[in-house]
Amino acid sequence: MILTAGYLPGLSPDEVEWQTLTFNRGGEQTEVSVPLLTDDQIKELSSDIKKASRHYLKGLPVSEILRTIDSAICQFLDRSNPYRQQAEKYLPRITGYDSEMVRLGLTSYLKTFRQSELRRFLSEDFFNPKILDEFQPLPKGGYGRAYGPDLLAHIWAGNVPGLPLWSLISGLLVKAGNIGKVSSFEPLMASWFARLIAEIDPRLGECIAVTWWKGGDTECQQALLNQADLVVAYGNNDTLQQIRDYTPITTRCLTYTHKVSFGMVSKSALDPIKAWNVAHQAAYDIVRYDQQGCYSPHVFFIEENGAVSPKQFAQYVASELDNFQKKFPRRTLTIEEAQDVALWKQTEEVKTFSDDCSAVMGDTDGTWCVSFSETPENLSPSGLNRTAKVISVQQLDDVPALISPYKAFLQTVGIAASPEELHRLACLLGVVGVTRISALEHMTVPEAGWHHDGRFNLLDLITMTEVERSAEISAEAFSNYVD
Amino acid sequence: MTEAEIIKTLLDFIASDCAGDEEFNALALKIFDYQFQNNLPYQLFCRQREQTPRTTKNWRDIPAVPINGYKDLCLSCCDPKSVERTFMTSGTTKDGLRGQCRHPTLSVYDASMVAAFRQYFMEEHERLRMGILFPTEQAMPNSSLAHYLALALKEFGSEGSRYLLSNDGIDWKELFTELEQVEQSGEPYALLGASFSFVHVMDEMARVGKSVSLPEGSRILDTGGFKGQSRELELDNFYESLSSRFGVLREDCINMYGMTELSTQFYDSGNASCPSAKSGPNWVRSRIVNPLTGAEIQKGERGVLAHHDLAHFNCVSSILTEDAGVEVDDGFILLGRAEGVEAKGCSMAVDEFLKVAKGEACDTNCGISSGSKS
Repeated sequence: MILTAGYLPGLSPDEVEWQTLTFNRGGEQTEVSVPLLTDDQIKELSSDIKKASRHYLKGLPVSEILRTIDSAICQFLDRSNPYRQQAEKYLPRITGYDSEMVRLGLTSYLKTFRQSELRRFLSEDFFNPKILDEFQPLPKGGYGRAYGPDLLAHIWAGNVPGLPLWSLISGLLVKAGNIGKVSSFEPLMASWFARLIAEIDPRLGECIAVTWWKGGDTECQQALLNQADLVVAYGNNDTLQQIRDYTPITTRCLTYTHKVSFGMVSKSALDPIKAWNVAHQAAYDIVRYDQQGCYSPHVFFIEENGAVSPKQFAQYVASELDNFQKKFPRRTLTIEEAQDVALWKQTEEVKTFSDDCSAVMGDTDGTWCVSFSETPENLSPSGLNRTAKVISVQQLDDVPALISPYKAFLQTVGIAASPEELHRLACLLGVVGVTRISALEHMTVPEAGWHHDGRFNLLDLITMTEVERSAEISAEAFSNYVD
Repeated sequence: MTEAEIIKTLLDFIASDCAGDEEFNALALKIFDYQFQNNLPYQLFCRQREQTPRTTKNWRDIPAVPINGYKDLCLSCCDPKSVERTFMTSGTTKDGLRGQCRHPTLSVYDASMVAAFRQYFMEEHERLRMGILFPTEQAMPNSSLAHYLALALKEFGSEGSRYLLSNDGIDWKELFTELEQVEQSGEPYALLGASFSFVHVMDEMARVGKSVSLPEGSRILDTGGFKGQSRELELDNFYESLSSRFGVLREDCINMYGMTELSTQFYDSGNASCPSAKSGPNWVRSRIVNPLTGAEIQKGERGVLAHHDLAHFNCVSSILTEDAGVEVDDGFILLGRAEGVEAKGCSMAVDEFLKVAKGEACDTNCGISSGSKS
């Protein structure tokens, strides 16, 4: 069976050129047809979406939009719903992730988009979310209203199922028209979501399009960038630099680069009873989507002088990774991915020859690997795909110095520590550029309303129109009731 | 076995071209035992993989050292100070030094090179007039390729054979005069050099609108590919251009695949069609493996090349390359380097981190402690 990705309101499938992406995972082949638009089609689509956004979406109360999104998410959460069933069936096949991990991951992820959570999301960024519907009094005086762009271009990347929903839903909440370019690794979720929205509210459906082009196709990209009022793009630094260079100077371009995240465990969490559970949680963060997320940990800094030593803790994590391999087997790696893991592992192994205190633990199939260092080391990325470094530190307060050179790459820190330590460390970590601190086991599941890379997901998308106090006062002079 | 015994056994093995699988296996195990006993870093590496000579019965189970290992480990059975020659690898250590392949004697390397070169390149010829598009051994004493080409010239070059590249680069006038003379002589000629030297020469020939028709039976040997060069050529285009610029049949354009970390080279039997299968003499065996598990990959599927070269007796015989390949009927097809992929997700990969962190580190004056690729 050939699946179809993309969602193109107003364009008939016959008018569009289609390409087939083939996914071979675990001996099963899945084919996904993706649309490849011409410059003119992108232009036409952009113009239609802008119109629909201006004429329909801008006048739709936020509460209505919330209801529609909630209804779509509800259907995605319902395991008897055909969309959900497709997601459960095909996402593991195209991404290679274990199907149970995808199923659990989808539920925990999607439930952060329920109506109540979306309200939280809105009130994180807007003191008064009604400012998206109509002019509202501003604390400084006068009135203001927030407008989303008529056309928000999303350039998505990555193979973590469903990630595009973040920016797509953010766009809808601020009443933006949206055209998203899906990644070749996971082109389906955004397409399904757009179709579901269109089924619930066809006119809202006219404000979303989902398309594709091959990464690096600068012509298609340029066509969209020229039309967009605002661009949100994800990817590595080179890709994003290029997108930024191609974006017209009058168009804002928000970029989300690749990040490195890590964990920290205090000696207060290292008593013999608690340490196993902490190691289990750390391993879970490593296993979730095989460390492909920006919030996935590469390194764990473990404090010395606990009842359980850092080395023992590394062994606990190794043992938990081994258990997880039985429950959620790692996806089959390509030769290139295997090469990356092998190179990282080899480098770590070589270090052990000259250092008796370090150790590399792994299984014979190479499905996971933990490297332990007794001496403090700077932060560095792991080989990904369930490989992590455990580094012993005298005290957790030493960690900021080990990560501060890499301020631009830092994102999430998962912490197991006492309340006093948590708050003290938060101050130290915030200064060196960490933007999110979570509990272990929650690193890969940001809460609703989180600030991705420390930015405002919704505020960054809007522009304000303000009516200053002076205009109000001067208008009084021209009223029909003036004395 | 002692070093002297190993050397003698290897020279005999190379000289007799009838050694089969069993003989290969027997000698591989003996050399493994020698390397295990005399090379402590390799011993540690093998122990980590729970493999010792006592437990190893098949050469396929002898642990293969990643070529990356030369950067960090001193892989030599003899005292590094008492070697005849050291070849430097392209990978650098964290101190900025290059990895070293030490040869207590070049006799085995040379015997291996000469025997395979005769078999794969010379065919019916005893000697050929040669032109070398590469620096001399004196100019690059630590380059295994410079030694290889010097040896080719010494052992197989007839009168008039010479280097066409000096310290100042290529003297175009001299080169073109040489090629014209060869053309007129009617005697078969062999042009040997780095793949990229040929690209330079062909660029210049294109610029001045020159091409030659080397006499029938002439041959070309290129090696090294285009990695890291200013531009990469499609193999098909490369051999098509070689053939038309020099008037040498594509089946007489041989590509040699070798590496500093080996003492034996692989050849194809011409490049009438690309990519061509490579193979080596019977003292070297290649496998296509999964780089992570070392497990062999079935014929026809992509993997990474692992070579077992008995002639590389002083360092390690079994190495794991970073070259992707596929096994075919008459050897293997080289698919280029198995480059690390860009991370598929939004998590940062080592390569990207190093690239950006190096820039950052200059600003913050802070070193990076992480593995890096050559």
